[in-house]
Amino acid sequence: MTGTPLDPDAAAAAKGEAEEQARAQRNLGWHLLWKTLLEQKRALILGVAIGVTWTAAKVAVPQLTKHAIDRGIEQNGPLLAWSVFIAIAGVATGLLTAGRRYLAFRESRWTETLLRERIYAHIQRLHVAYHDKSQTGQLMSRASSDLQQVQQFVVMIPITLSNVAQLVAVTVILSLTDWRLAIVALAPLPFINVASRRFSSRIHPAVLAVQNEQAQLASVVEESVSGVRVVKGLGTEQVQFDKLRKEADDIQRVSLKAAGIRSRFLPAIDLLPSLGLIAVLGYGGHRVINGDMSIGDLVAFNVYLTMLVWPLRNIGMMVALGQRAAAALVRVHEVLSTEPAVKSPEKPRQLPPRTSATQTGAVRFESVHFGYDVDREILRGFDLAIAPGESVALVGATGSGKSTIVRLLLRFYDVTNGRITIDGVDVRRLDLGELRRNVGVVFEDTFLFNDSVRNNIAFSKPDAEQSIVERAARLAGAHDFINQLPDGYDTQIGERGYSLSGGQRQRVAIARAIVADPRVLVLDDATSAVDPSKEHEIRDAMRTVMSGRTTIVVAHRPGTIALADRIVLLDGGVVAAVGQHRDLIESSERYREVLAAWAVRDAESDAADGSGIAETRGSIAAPTGGD
Amino acid sequence: MFGMGAGVAPEDQLDRSQTRRVLRRVLRMAYPFRKTAYVSLGCVVVTTAATLAAPILVRHGIDAGIRANDVYELNLSVGLYLVITALAYGFGRLQYVFLNRTGEAFLRELRLKVFAAMQSQSMAFYDRNKAGVLVARMTADIETMGELIQWGLLQFLASGFLVVLAFAVLFTLSWELTLVVLIVFPVIVIASVKFQRDSNVAYLSVRERVGQNLGTLQEGIAAVRVIQAYAQEDHQIKRFQRSNRSLFDSHVRSIRISTWYFGLVEFSGVVAASLVVGIGGWLVHRDAVSLGTVVAFILLLSSLFDPVQQLSQLYNGVQSAAAALHKLFGILDSEPEIGEAPDAVDLPRRGVLEVNGVTFTYQAGTHPALKQAEIVVRDGERIALVGPTGAGKSTLAKLMARLYDPSIGSVSYGGTDLRRATLASLRERIVVVPQEGFLFNGTIRENVRLARITASDEEVEAALARLGILDHFERLPDGLDTEVRERGSRLSAGERQLVALGRAALVDPAVLVLDEATSNLDPGTEAEVEAALERLMQGRTTIVVAHRLTTVQRADRIVVVDKAQIVEVGSHAELLERNGKYAALARAWEKSHAL
Repeated sequence: MTGTPLDPDAAAAAKGEAEEQARAQRNLGWHLLWKTLLEQKRALILGVAIGVTWTAAKVAVPQLTKHAIDRGIEQNGPLLAWSVFIAIAGVATGLLTAGRRYLAFRESRWTETLLRERIYAHIQRLHVAYHDKSQTGQLMSRASSDLQQVQQFVVMIPITLSNVAQLVAVTVILSLTDWRLAIVALAPLPFINVASRRFSSRIHPAVLAVQNEQAQLASVVEESVSGVRVVKGLGTEQVQFDKLRKEADDIQRVSLKAAGIRSRFLPAIDLLPSLGLIAVLGYGGHRVINGDMSIGDLVAFNVYLTMLVWPLRNIGMMVALGQRAAAALVRVHEVLSTEPAVKSPEKPRQLPPRTSATQTGAVRFESVHFGYDVDREILRGFDLAIAPGESVALVGATGSGKSTIVRLLLRFYDVTNGRITIDGVDVRRLDLGELRRNVGVVFEDTFLFNDSVRNNIAFSKPDAEQSIVERAARLAGAHDFINQLPDGYDTQIGERGYSLSGGQRQRVAIARAIVADPRVLVLDDATSAVDPSKEHEIRDAMRTVMSGRTTIVVAHRPGTIALADRIVLLDGGVVAAVGQHRDLIESSERYREVLAAWAVRDAESDAADGSGIAETRGSIAAPTGGD
Repeated sequence: MFGMGAGVAPEDQLDRSQTRRVLRRVLRMAYPFRKTAYVSLGCVVVTTAATLAAPILVRHGIDAGIRANDVYELNLSVGLYLVITALAYGFGRLQYVFLNRTGEAFLRELRLKVFAAMQSQSMAFYDRNKAGVLVARMTADIETMGELIQWGLLQFLASGFLVVLAFAVLFTLSWELTLVVLIVFPVIVIASVKFQRDSNVAYLSVRERVGQNLGTLQEGIAAVRVIQAYAQEDHQIKRFQRSNRSLFDSHVRSIRISTWYFGLVEFSGVVAASLVVGIGGWLVHRDAVSLGTVVAFILLLSSLFDPVQQLSQLYNGVQSAAAALHKLFGILDSEPEIGEAPDAVDLPRRGVLEVNGVTFTYQAGTHPALKQAEIVVRDGERIALVGPTGAGKSTLAKLMARLYDPSIGSVSYGGTDLRRATLASLRERIVVVPQEGFLFNGTIRENVRLARITASDEEVEAALARLGILDHFERLPDGLDTEVRERGSRLSAGERQLVALGRAALVDPAVLVLDEATSNLDPGTEAEVEAALERLMQGRTTIVVAHRLTTVQRADRIVVVDKAQIVEVGSHAELLERNGKYAALARAWEKSHAL
């Protein structure tokens, strides 16, 4: 800010603007909820209708009780009839309570369910650059805890509406019965509402503080447990214990603070209605003695007053729930309103058909420029033409942009300059689905889903026949070990299932790419996670897969590089050299350097053991103390 | 109160005798806090009694005041009503304060005790129990009880009192009308018990599906690149939809259960009122009861029905708290395996580290991880342990530092059996530097000081300086006071190892047990770590679990461990000459180095 740093007008304007913006955000959030609720309007209207009918039945009970006392008991009237009326009202309130509750909860869960599906679907279609920036946990809480806040609010909508109706109806009835007594009796009740609202807003931060302290204690426990080797090795148990004691003290302190808030509000909220009841007994009693009202009215007043306690509390809670839901909705809306930056074009072009006569799978990179950050270019005019069926190895130091090229080809990102074509068509002119179905990738870090081996392999074609899956597994050299798994192809793998070794995971990933049967196959450092002594197994699989198919191999081990027809050395964002391994070793010093650097890494990363990665024992392996 | 999300899995449910034992033990543990506990109990009794006194006063007001046209009696009732309301408020506040004081003090004690019990266990305990489970014991399990204390316990006690007292009051007012109430009451009790059981089942199913759904959600986000690369968004969305809808179905089932229950409760309440009015009215006509009594009954009905509902809902909370306590007592009861002998002595300053016929088994009944190991390490000698993964070399190293005690045989230093050494002198003489440089939350300085908590700032700096790495950390923006944050994500792997070495230097031990890192470091820090390590090992007995050829070559002697046995011992040259296991291993190493 220039000029006077403490310009009150400017500060106020800035503040006003920020508030304005926050309000606009909130409105967008509410709008999102409104639109979602409209889809369920029939059930919601029914819910509200039931709620209002429930109010009528509920309000009728004290009226009936009053008449039963006044006419039935005091005047020896038809007592049985009045009791039966009350019982009928009981049946009605019972049914209506059930209906109101069922609809309110069911519809709120449905809203939550639908919104969660929308968020998930949207996240799936968001460009990769968005995912690079956002944390999984953040997105998770949009689809879980934020939606929970929304659900808790939505469930209260029909309930609150009928509560309001009840409030109005009772006030009207009491006023009609005896307006003077009504004023006296109802006077303390607004304080219930005020007190519950205050309570909600005071207790919320206190509860958060407790949770925060609990999280801190959890992190001390967590570090003591996962760092137990250090703790035991250095004998520092006391240090950790002191840390924990501090956190335990903190929890105790903030919990008692929260208890203090509860103690101030909850008994008051419980007892405020009693003041109304006392007023009814005192003032009302005098009026009955004076003959200004009946004793039945007095009892009805009593019952009505107790009836108002819950609605008033709920309306108080509703305000706090609404505020939290609004904040959650803003965050959800933020995700849903993010436009995917990489989208299919309006009128996509088609790739030329694959026939036996014409060879397909020509890939061209034409002076491609790209950087993840605006001011740091990774690729600075990368040019490469790959003929149909040709295989090319990309070699380069860390950060030279090899994997970036792969990501650009898949249109995870769009080039900032230049273009990439497959069979003559710019990748940006293709439908995203078609493009990606025609480019099959095996990533460096294989992702296995919590699913059967079969479904993991048939990932690109979920309906693929077993024979196709097995053929792919055979080609990838995975068939034999899969057969040895406890349930063969039906064995559950992934994080929560059977754990496979690095080499086995890669072979499953390669089989996955084979099932996709792409025009262009990309092996992005597919062997780097594999023990060198096991690499030859994968290499065989790769060789089979690559034959007759355009293939880009990102690699750094000579054995893998040798699989390619041509080697491209990437340096400084451009092609530094092209040729055969033998030629490059002789002619390019940079090439020798790059390979040597990788070799040193490999050698040092391999443990002395010959057995390599834990093989199939994985998750069922003995306690970690083994070695 | 339908907010308490407690549930007990069938396998966690305690049987009667277990519950009794848990309760007895809780009472024993709570004994120190008995004073505040008695006070809160007293408060609960007073407030409950006040709640019940109100309808009686209303009755008195109606019968003795209004119907008898006696203004004095009416005013008396009103006045007393005001007094008991004030009393109820005052004691209501006190009961919150005292109950929470008792509860939180108890929980704090429990946290400290359980943590202390966990810390006193040996490594074997940590091998047996997954880290996540141990953390859950200290967090989720104790918090379950916290929730119960904050919300439930009070209600539970008050509700119990209320039901009992309300019946007593009703009975003295009119036994005839009490019988009427007893017609409806069992319906509520049975419905509540059934509801409690069904909703527990439904709750567990919801919880399970919430977990599954979160798993699918997380997978979908984590795998988004693969999914997009294979254009499988639609299929994955459908997959998520299936899991999401199954969660919804589970919610709906649980909603149905509460739907009929709450409907029934509402219905029963009104029907009970109609019975009281009908039969009560008839009794009034026959002058068997007064009108005031009938009104008091109508008002008391809610004091009867609400607590029963609350009791049934709290029952789950109490049960899950008992289950949690049972698990916590399990930890409190496990005997510390590595303890200090009563006649412990300090280890000598220097000496020979001797492994005598050591056999070690991680879990009884399994194969030994180490068999009949024999080795004598001279003072100041450097030993490299090599061998395949799982052969037992790390186990041997850990036994030499007494992270475990041998099943058979002994380990001694300077002639003293490690089991007879004081723990303080043991950790001073023998220091273990684990493979990954594990950092605790806090600054770099605090992380180094961890090794000797009494060390001054100068001593910490001097220790780092001795390793030649003080400059490295002082170059950071906040120097040694840099916060490491979240498991040291701010520091590189190499820097984390430097901190670990710094800790060892601060202790200045006679024996170093190192587990060499297998992971890659960036070349710059790699050299720094190497240099610091070399300085640290200077003049100390060193046992290295080695993964690198260079480290092995620098050792005085190499111990080859294979299939839980020491198979070869000797220098690099000697072992090459022998042309056995080690020679084969060294050849494999050489090869992987070559282009």
